[in-house]
This record gives sequence, structure tokens and C-alpha cells, in this order.
Amino acid sequence: FANSNISPGAGMYPPVAKLNLAADPRKMRRIIAEDPEWSLTVVPLLSNLCLQHIVRNFEEKPILEELLPRHKDYVLERLSPSLPLQVTANLISDDGYWKRCCKQRWGLCDVSSYGHSWKRMFFERHLENIIELYIPDATDPKTVLGMVPLCRNYVKRLDISQLMPPIKEPQKSEDDDNSDSASDMGMDGPSMDHFDFGILLDKLNHLEEFHVVYRVKGCGMNFEWNLFEFTFRDCESLAKALKSCKTLKVLRIHQSKVDDEKCRQLVNNLLDHPSLRELNLSHNLIGDRGARAIGKLLNRSKLERLTVYDNNIRGPGAQAIAYALAKNSSLLSLNLRLNRLGDEGGQAIAQALLKNRTLKWLHLGGNEMTEPTATVLSQVLVQNNTLRSINLSCNRLGMDGGKVLEEGMCHNSSMVECDIRLTEVGQESDYCISQVVRNNQNQAHRKHNTEENLAQTSEHY
Amino acid sequence: MSQAGNLREDTEEAGPSVDSENPEERIAARRLRIAARSEAKKRQELGDDSREKKEIKEEARKSQHQVEQSEKRMIKLQSDGTELVTNIQVAADSRESRRQTEVEEAHRLRVEKLENEAKSSLEKFEEITRKWTVAKMKEIPQDLRDSLSSQQQLCALLIEDKNKLIHELQKEMKLSDDRYVKDLKKQAEDVDLMIERMEDQVKFLMGSYRDELDQIENSFEHERKILLTGNRKKWEQYTKERRDKELENVTQRMKRVEEYEVLLQQLRTEDTEEYNMIKIKLDTDVQILEQQLQQMKATYQLNQEKLEYNFQVLKKRDEENTITKSQQKRKITRLQDVVNNLKIKCANQEKQSREENQNLTDDYTRIMQQYKHMQKKMRHFAAIDAKKFEEVWLMNEEEVKALVEKALDTDRLVHEQQLGLAWQRPSLAFMERCGPLQPHRQTQKTAHQAISELLQLGQTSGLGKGKYQEAGVGPGAESPGLAVEVYDSGAGLESGSSEVEREREGSEGEHSGTVSVKIVKKLLELLCDEAGFLIESKLLKLLSPLEKDEQSLMKLDSIFTAMGIESEEDVYKLADFFMKYRHTQGEQTQDVSAKWGVASPQAERGEFTSSCSPPSDLIHPNDVLVALRAFTAQHCRPRELAASHQHSMLGLGGRDDTEDAAYWEAMGDVIPEAKLKIWGALEAALDKYHIVLTERSKFITDTQSLKQQNTELRMLLHQYVNSRVNAELEIPPNLVMQLAPEGTN
Repeated sequence: FANSNISPGAGMYPPVAKLNLAADPRKMRRIIAEDPEWSLTVVPLLSNLCLQHIVRNFEEKPILEELLPRHKDYVLERLSPSLPLQVTANLISDDGYWKRCCKQRWGLCDVSSYGHSWKRMFFERHLENIIELYIPDATDPKTVLGMVPLCRNYVKRLDISQLMPPIKEPQKSEDDDNSDSASDMGMDGPSMDHFDFGILLDKLNHLEEFHVVYRVKGCGMNFEWNLFEFTFRDCESLAKALKSCKTLKVLRIHQSKVDDEKCRQLVNNLLDHPSLRELNLSHNLIGDRGARAIGKLLNRSKLERLTVYDNNIRGPGAQAIAYALAKNSSLLSLNLRLNRLGDEGGQAIAQALLKNRTLKWLHLGGNEMTEPTATVLSQVLVQNNTLRSINLSCNRLGMDGGKVLEEGMCHNSSMVECDIRLTEVGQESDYCISQVVRNNQNQAHRKHNTEENLAQTSEHY
Repeated sequence: MSQAGNLREDTEEAGPSVDSENPEERIAARRLRIAARSEAKKRQELGDDSREKKEIKEEARKSQHQVEQSEKRMIKLQSDGTELVTNIQVAADSRESRRQTEVEEAHRLRVEKLENEAKSSLEKFEEITRKWTVAKMKEIPQDLRDSLSSQQQLCALLIEDKNKLIHELQKEMKLSDDRYVKDLKKQAEDVDLMIERMEDQVKFLMGSYRDELDQIENSFEHERKILLTGNRKKWEQYTKERRDKELENVTQRMKRVEEYEVLLQQLRTEDTEEYNMIKIKLDTDVQILEQQLQQMKATYQLNQEKLEYNFQVLKKRDEENTITKSQQKRKITRLQDVVNNLKIKCANQEKQSREENQNLTDDYTRIMQQYKHMQKKMRHFAAIDAKKFEEVWLMNEEEVKALVEKALDTDRLVHEQQLGLAWQRPSLAFMERCGPLQPHRQTQKTAHQAISELLQLGQTSGLGKGKYQEAGVGPGAESPGLAVEVYDSGAGLESGSSEVEREREGSEGEHSGTVSVKIVKKLLELLCDEAGFLIESKLLKLLSPLEKDEQSLMKLDSIFTAMGIESEEDVYKLADFFMKYRHTQGEQTQDVSAKWGVASPQAERGEFTSSCSPPSDLIHPNDVLVALRAFTAQHCRPRELAASHQHSMLGLGGRDDTEDAAYWEAMGDVIPEAKLKIWGALEAALDKYHIVLTERSKFITDTQSLKQQNTELRMLLHQYVNSRVNAELEIPPNLVMQLAPEGTN
């Protein structure tokens, strides 16, 4: 049957048929079940031929928008993911194509963290890759700048997980004192500077989140301290770049040895930033002066979340932050975990909370606080009813502190979470507090439910 | 349910009890109790409210309760799980903070140590430096050596201290390295543990979620079952009730049907009877109506046919009408075109004709000028011709007279010489005359003159003819402008003919005698009054300052010119006509009025009555106009003829040549016929005599010529004979000559 079907075609178009038959053994089969587009017709449709041609020559002559929707799908399905981005970036908006691109390039992908946009994911990761592999003085900045017009409409978040230092003979000074080394590095000149974000950030006009870590991943046995330097010049350029990026909402600088000076530099440039909502400077070396700067920033911006855990903030720094917090009306969340506030700082913060009416989430875990702080906090618990969650874990509050807290907690109806693990509080007070918290949770839940019901009923009627 | 119960027991067991020693706990327990009570109350109220809605609501609430409980449980489980997981983190945190404090402490100690060490070493160093100065002071080599060695020892001590410190620090570092590695390991373990716990939690949560879901489903299922059974029971009950009712209904219906059937039968019989009656009645009615219908149909048919016929006719007519209409329309359009064309043409024609008219008027004026010119010329030529004629005449006359004289002379000569008779000269009267014969003509008296004469007659009834001539000159001298205006072109002619007219006066006077002068005068006055409309208004103005008679004269004059009356004869004719008219009027008034007064019969009637009443001998003023019209109608033709006659006279130059022939004849007849006969005979005799005489003269001349010839010939002969040649000749010419005359003779 197949032969009889093909032979007339072969008679009519001998060269084509022969070529096809010779080239493709599939032609000899009658049915190919796994190919949904398989058909016995020897000569494909002209439209298909045209579309195939378009696909083949897409790089030279991209025709897409003029096509019918059906044909467009056909072409998009067949376009090679390795086409140059200059052609595809602004032309193709179809997620299917970008999904293929992503899968081909990285294999494992989680699109949910990219707003379910494969295109955004592709461009963000592509740009991150370029920046992470950028070696100052060795790589041409044009490789980065060339990407800007292609990806600036799609990049909303940059998560830079490493930054390469310039290739140089290893520095001999492996100082142990951080501040010293930082200043030394600053003195050393431009040799240790990383990628300058100033050339990039002001051009990405959709950038909202920016995460950066000044370190080198996977250095293994080639470890050197200077691979993990955040030089003063880096800080300067980064601060300027951040100032120029007006759309930025979230800034995170992790594990980058940000000390007081750099923190002040950064904060100076972030003052009055029009859109910044969240600042995360965790795992750095910020001390009291840096904390003071952050306190200044609190009332000169619209910050809602401030995260500075695992730093070196002590009492005075905490007092500065508390002073700002007392007057602040925008901050919702404050995380001061693993600092060195002590009772001095803790009391200051608690006192500030007596005045503050916006903060909802507070983490003071691991701050060497003791009973005095707890007494003030119990007052806070009685008076403040905006605070929803407080974490006091890993503080030596002691039995008395726990009792005081329990007392305060009894008069509170807004607290939904209260973490007092490893605080050496007595079991009874722990239990009481958890009971109150549970009650509050139930109430909040009920409230939420009734609100939902109300909303539903109002929708119904 | 059992689980929920368990949970409650748990809470009761674990919750704060009122009997607790802790006052806060007691307070909390009381609070809880109050809360529980209020909740229960609330529930009861809700239940009261919903009791009306029976079990369904309660059952639904059971399931809801189940859902709430499972939700609570799940939340608790979740929070427990997260606590379990975060416990690790918290532990790590606390470790970290402890480490930090330891590190800090170590750091502090280290710094202290280092400071102490630095101090001590500084002291030592100072000692050493001090000793250097001491050593410098020493001069003995051994002391120097000792001191140097002590120095060395001290330095070694210092270095040892330092080394010790370094060693310690290195040890510490190693320790911290170890610790770091341990920490790393611990962290890795923690992470592993966390992952493990998380996985466990996930599994556990999934399981419990599934359980809860099953329970919720079960509760819902249970509820549904209960509902279903309840509804089914109800349904069955209702169906049973319905069945009973239906049965009852059926039996009732049967009964009723039977009743109705009986009733129906009864009604049917009654109705059939009634029906039959009515049917018969209606049948008859129907028959009658059918007949009527037939009749109506017939009439209808007839009417229809008529109407159809009419309709057809009308249709035909309509068609025709439409055809004619269309034709008319076409025609109208065509005619419109034609009209347009004609209009255009007419306009053109008008234009042309106007131009032509203009041309013609121009021509006319030109021709008139030419004509005048020609007349002038003609008059000139006439005068010249007359002169020439006279001269020619005189010349011819002279010649003729000479010839006559000659003829008479000849006659006298013939008589006296040839005949020998006595000659008497014939009487020749005409011979005395000299110049051309002058014809005698009379000019007609003009109407103007006649009128003025008449008027003057009226004034001075006894005036003779001398006055008349004066009057004839008078008006002409008085108003020359008027005379020129009135007589315009005819003046010259009139004046030319005036002489001839004057000769006839005598007869005219007799003629006027037939119509009395007075009557004429009256008539003229009438005319003057009645026909005033013929006078030009301009003239009237001019006339106003004149006397009455003169006025009337001028008026009459203008009236006559308007009417075309020019000569006196005409005036008298008019008067005559009027008189006659008046005479005939009496008999034929009606006819006349009918004839001449068509335009306004009413006025005529009035006129008729008024004209009839006064028996005066004059014509009634009202009839004047009518009479005038009649007169002009009659008078027009003869006058035209006269005019043409006059013109022919004018062309001939006004000469009568009838007597000329006689005159010339008389000239020619100076020699009478008898004399001519005598003259003829005389001529004949003389002719004969003349012939004789001429023959004689001829013979004379002949003889003379012959004589001459003879002499000549003799001379020649003599010559020949006498010549020497002759002697030599055989025959001498003498001989021949002698012979010849013999022969001839």
C-alpha cells in the first residue's frame, strides 16, 4: 500500500521523492504513531514549507508577528533555542520558547520564583551568569552592556551569588583584623575592585530586587582571603549605582564584610530613596556606627523590612535604632537576630516599642538580653497591640523574666507568635504564654474567617 | 468525634486548672472558663435560632464543627512541626551566640594577654636597651662578653616569651580551626537533621491531612446519608398520600361521568328534535335565499359584464390618452424646441429687421435728400430745357422761316421765270410769330383761399373779387411759418398751378352759387367746432393770441389738411356732401347711424334723437363727425387719382405740343399741292431738256476729242513715213497705210 501510494508521487516528482525516500527511512513506514503530524502525503504543504524556511532562516530574517496565530505557534515550536538573543529578545514573547531555552541551558528550573515567567527567568539568570563570570580588567564591559537593551524590560531581580576579583598574584597580607584588612584593601587601589554596578543598574529600569554577595563560590582549596573582599571602591560604586536605580525595592548584601564605614557609605546614598522597601545586611560586620547610620536611614526612607542579623551591633547602635523606631511609622518588620544588643539595647528597643504603632514583627533572638529587658517588654505586651510576633529565643531571660513576660502576656490580645525557646524561662510561664498566644491565634483566625464570610456574603448579595 | 473528645480531654488535662497553685494560672483558667461558657451560650443561641430549621442545620453544623476541629488540629500540628524544625535553628543560634561570646571573651583575654606580654616584653626590652648603654661603658672585654652573654640570654628569654606566645596563639588557632571544622560538621549535621525532620514533618502532615480529609469526607457522607434517608421517607409518604387521593378522585369522577351521561342522553334527544325543526325551517329559508342569490348573481353578472365593458373602454381610452399625452408631450417638447428656435430666430430677425429698418430709414432719408436734390435738379433742368427748347425752337423757326422764304422765292422764280406767270405772295401769319407756342393753364384755387374768401364774404358780404385776391395773399403773409408748415412740399406746385386756377374762377363762383355762401360758412364754423380734435394742440396754443376769425381760419386750415382737403373744389364738394347728407338723413338716419356708428351705438341713439328733433336746414353738429367720415371715405379715392394725374403733369414739364405740329405743318404747307404738281411737271420737262442738252454737250466734246486725235495721228503718220527705215523695208508702211485706209474705208 505504501509503495503504491508513493510510486505515483515518485513518478510525478522523481527527484524529490527519491531524495526523500533515500534520506528518510521513515517515509517507507506507513504509520508513525509517535509523530502527531505524520501524514502520508509525499509533498508537504506549501505553507509548511514556507514556515520551515522561515524557521531555518530566522536568524537572517525574523518573521513572526506577521504570521497567523497557528503558523506562529508552528514557528515558535520549531525555533532553535540557540538563536542569538539579539534576534529573539525583544521579538519573541512566547513563554514556550523561553521555557525551551531555560531547560536547554540549565536543565532544572523553578519558574515559580520568577513570577511564572520563563522569559524573565531566562534573562535574569543569563544576566546573573554574565555578571558572576565577569572578571574585571579581563572581560570586556561590553559583554554586560550589550545585554542591557535586550534584557532590561524583563529583569526584575538580580541575585548575584558571586563576584570575581581581578586576576592577580595573590596578596600576601592575610590580615585577621577585618577593619584593618578592609582599609588596607581600600589603600591597595583599584586592583581588587569587582564589577562596577554603576554601569548596569541605572539602565535596568524594571529592576526591583537586588541581591549581591562579594565572594567567590566554590573556591575549594584555592581559598584566599582576598577572594572575599568588599573594597571601599566597590562600596562606593555600588552605593552610587543603588542611588541611580530608582525602581529598586529590595536590597540584600550578604556575607560581604560590610563594616561601619561601608554601611555608612551605603546608607548615605540610600537616604531618601524613592522606592526602597526592604534592606537586608545580614552576616556582615556592622557595628554601632553602622547601626546609627541605619537608624538615620529608617526615618529617611520608606523601609518596611529591616534585616541586620548576625552583625556586631551593640547597645549604642541598638539605642540609635530604637530612637529611630520610636518615631518611625513605616517599618513593619525588624530583625536583629544574633547581635550583641545586651540589656542596654534591648531596653531601648522595648521602650521604643511603647511608642511605635506600626511594627508587627520583631526578632531579638540571640542578643544576650536578660530580665530587665523582659520587664520592659512585658509593659510593651500590655500597651502595644500592633505587635504580632516577637522572637526572644536564645536570651537568658531567666525564670523571673519569664514570669514578668507571662504577666504582660495575659493582658495582650494581639500577639500571635511569641518565641521564648532557650530563654531559661520556667515551664509554667512558657505554657501560659503559649496558651495566650494560641487563644490570640484562634481569635485572629475567627476574625479572619468572619471577615472572609462577610466578604463572601457581600459578594453574594 | 473521638479525636475531638481526646483533644478536649488533652486541653483539660494540660490547660491551666483553677486548682493550680499559681495565681496567674488560676486567673487564666477562670478566663478560659468564662470564654468557654460564653461560647457555649452563643452556640446555644445559634441553635435556638436554627431550631426551626430542624436537623439539617445541626447536621451541617456538625460537619462544620468537624472542619473547624480538623483545621485547628492541623494548625497545631503545623506549629508543632515548625517548632520542632526551628528548634534546631534556635539551638544553632544559641550556640552561635555562645560561640560569639566565647570568641569575644577569648579575644578579650587574648588582647589582655598580649597587652601584658607587650608590657613585660617592653620592660624587658627597656632593660636590655639599658644594659646596652651599661655594656658600652664597660671596657674590659670579659665584662663586655659577660654582659653581652647576659644580654643574649635576656634577648633569648624575650624571644622565648614571644615564641611561647606565638605558639599559644597558633595552638589557639588550631583549636579554633578544629572548632570551625567541628562547627561545620555540626552545622552539616544540623542541616541534615533539619531536612530529615522537615521530611518527616511533611510526611506526617500529609498523612494527618489525609486522615482529616477522610474524616471530613466521612462526616459529610454521613450527613448526606441521613439527609437522603430522611428525604426518601418523606418522599414515600407523599407519594402514598397522592396515590390515595388519586384513587378517590377516580371513583368520584366515574360517578360523575355516569350522571353526566344520562343527562347528555336526555339533552341529546331534546336537541335533535329542536334541531330537526330548525333544520326544516332553515332549509326553506335557504331555498328562498338561494333563489335570491341566483337573482342577485344574474344581476351581478350583468353588472359585471357592463362594468367590464366600461372598464375595457375606459382602459382603451386611458391608453389612448396616455398615448396622446405622450405624443402631446413629445409635441410640446418639439414645439418648445421650435419655439425656442423661433424665438431665437425672431430675435435675430428682429435684430436684422431693426438693422434693416435702420438701414432703410437711413436709405429713406438719403433717398429723400436725393429726391429733393433730384427735384431741385429737375427744376433746374426743366428751366434749362425750356430755355434750350425756346432757343432750339427759335433757331428751327428761323431756319424754317428761311427755308419758307427760299421756297417762296423759288416759287416766285419758277412762276416768274419759267412759267412766266405773275406770282402772288401767300398770306403767312405765322411768319410774324416768334418763339415757342405758350400753352395756357389755370391754377386751382386752394382750399385755404376759398375758406378765407368765404369767411371774408361772411364778414363783408358785399366785397368783390379784388378782396379775394388780397385775402389770398393775406394769410400767407400773416403767418408764413404756418403756411410753410401746412404747405410743406406742395407749396411750389400749388403756386405753379395757381395761375391756371385763377382763370376758372368764374365758373367756380357759379358753382359756389349752388351752395349758398352762408350755408357754407355755417358749415365751416360747425366743422371748426366739431372737428377740433383734428387740430394740433401746439397750434391751438399758438393761435390763442389771434382774433376769432383768424383763429377759426387757421383751425379750418389745419382740419382740412388733416382731412386731405386741399382745393376750393373740395371745400364745395364737402359742403355739397353735407347738404346732401342732411337731405338723405331724414330718410335714412337709422341706416346711416347703423353704418357709421358701430363703435358706440348708445351715443348714436342719443345723437339720432337729438338730430331728429331740430328741423334746421343745417346738418346737426352730432352728425358732423359721421358725415365727415363718410366724406373722407368717398373723397379719398378721387383725390388720390388727381394726385397721380398731377404728378404725371409735373413730369412732362408742363408743355402742350399739340399745336406745334399744326404750326410746323403750316410752315411746311407754304407751297400748296397744286403748285407742287406744276413744279413736278416743270421738273419733268426741264429734265428732258436737260438730257438733250447734256447729250449735245457730250457730242461736242466727242467731236473735239476726235479732231485732236486726228491731228495727232497725222503727225505720227507723217513721222513714220518720213523715216529712213521705211526705205529699207520690203513693204513700206506707206503702202500699208494706203492699203489700210482703203480697207477701213
